[in-house]
Amino acid sequence: MNILVLLAGVADIRFPLHPIVLSSEAVIQEQGSPRRVLSPFDEAALEIALKLRDARPETQIDVLLLDGCNSENLLRSVAAFCPDSLQCLQLQPCQLWDARQTAVQIAGLIKRDYPGHELILLGRELGDLDEGSIAVLLARRLGRAQLAMAQFGQWQNEQLWLMRERGTCEEWLQVDQPLLASVTNDRRNKLRHPLMKNVMQAKRMTFTQVTASAPERVGLSLSQLENAPVIARGGQCRLLSGDIAEQAKALVGWLKEQGVNS
Amino acid sequence: MSRLLAVIPQAWGDQALEAALGAAQHVSAGESYAVVLVSSQPSAEHAQLAARAGAKLVYQAVHAALGECDEPQVLVVAIAEALRAIPRLGSEVPLVLLPPGPQGEELAALLADCLDGQALGRCVALRLEDDAVLAERAAWGGRMRLVLRAASGPAFACVRAGRPQLKAGASADLFDLELHGSLPKALTLDKRESGQRLPPLEGAKLVVSGGRGVNEQGFALLEELALSLGGTLGGSLPAVDAGMVPVLRQVGVSGKFVSPQIYLAVGISGTLQHLAGVSLDSCIVAVNQDPEADIFKVASLGIVAPWETFLPALLAGLRQSVPG
Repeated sequence: MNILVLLAGVADIRFPLHPIVLSSEAVIQEQGSPRRVLSPFDEAALEIALKLRDARPETQIDVLLLDGCNSENLLRSVAAFCPDSLQCLQLQPCQLWDARQTAVQIAGLIKRDYPGHELILLGRELGDLDEGSIAVLLARRLGRAQLAMAQFGQWQNEQLWLMRERGTCEEWLQVDQPLLASVTNDRRNKLRHPLMKNVMQAKRMTFTQVTASAPERVGLSLSQLENAPVIARGGQCRLLSGDIAEQAKALVGWLKEQGVNS
Repeated sequence: MSRLLAVIPQAWGDQALEAALGAAQHVSAGESYAVVLVSSQPSAEHAQLAARAGAKLVYQAVHAALGECDEPQVLVVAIAEALRAIPRLGSEVPLVLLPPGPQGEELAALLADCLDGQALGRCVALRLEDDAVLAERAAWGGRMRLVLRAASGPAFACVRAGRPQLKAGASADLFDLELHGSLPKALTLDKRESGQRLPPLEGAKLVVSGGRGVNEQGFALLEELALSLGGTLGGSLPAVDAGMVPVLRQVGVSGKFVSPQIYLAVGISGTLQHLAGVSLDSCIVAVNQDPEADIFKVASLGIVAPWETFLPALLAGLRQSVPG
């Protein structure tokens, strides 16, 4: 089976966000020293592909990583997992806030360069500006079925099955047609650590770039970009005093006052 | 005719219905709006609720073949047929709201593509201007805010605005739309019990939630606590990553949005990404051994203690408080 994994990367939330501004041409400009890492959803998509290859070594994994700041380092970290191919994907124009535009661009490239890949995996959110629409629209543009929120994949009797959870059920889908799965994080798809020898090898690699372009869409524009306002919450935290038993007793009393049944 | 329309698949339940009506009421800012209820059979009760929430026009779009189907990939075809049948939504850019949540966002994107409109996605605010729809959206993990301007439409979006205020005795013009278009086949899924024994996060009045600082034993105690308090269990993204709690219980910007009366956060530091999933109306009770944790800045009640000693003491206290 041929699997295409789309990765985007996000700003590392463990560090303060680098300066990001909107130019007079409405282009997003990222400044300073951005720390871009794979998101939990990127990692989950990649790990599912790696697990499927572990089980069936003839599985081919091709990876496209969205271009952006710090791309070189991010490409190296992905290369350490030894995909069969890895390219940097440049969007032209790059308007990740417009899911329809982005989906059209990427779909065109996949149709041209990866038409026979039976499975496309990507995180349920593709990067810092997507809120989940890109995967939906990409599947639609490619004319593929989509499994949203996939959590796990495994081979059973030569057949690939993907799983997600809904309510009190696990839902399993047999992949018997070209499919796009948007992946969410799960304990079973936590990204492994690469082998040190592969990390060292990745440091010496060079990477090619591929461009996905489409005419700019009219009708939707990015008009402002600013720091998110601080959301006011009630707060005014009252700390319970005393030892553990006294604090627990006080909380039990407070819960009763709130009408909580126990 | 209003340029604001809320489309609500009835198979998504009462919470989706209320959330969509609350959003429409909020965005309309007192102006008139329309509601399209989509299902396999009409519901006078839901139509009445829409009217009480301020809808002036209520369309009951019925497609007999929908059954109980809740899949956006199928619903999009029926809804697109319904929207094409509704008289022109006015000369300005119309805004179509879907119930907030992952399914609503998926449906909003599909409809935008199907009807050649704008996919605005999960918004934090929406505003109607004369010649455009302005949508504010969170980006970079909630640390930045971007404003999109849709100058041609229709625009499709989701936004959270709480429950609607209902007026007694309100009425709306009701219309029936019979849909007959051929529906696509939903994915054939093999369903197996997952062993979940707690109620879902949606609609819970009390959520007990654990974070990175809580291990497997701790989550077993949290589950016991949730059951004891008549609530349910949630977790932060790191807790899901660590396999402590399934992803369908993840609270936060990339997980579920919860609006319980009480949110008991244990071992949760209080990142923006996590708090984005907790309603501003919820009262946060924080248990954390780090007195400097950000969660105490937003909590109403705080306990500085390690969960390893506090949770057993709390459970013991609850057992003692039960009469008889």
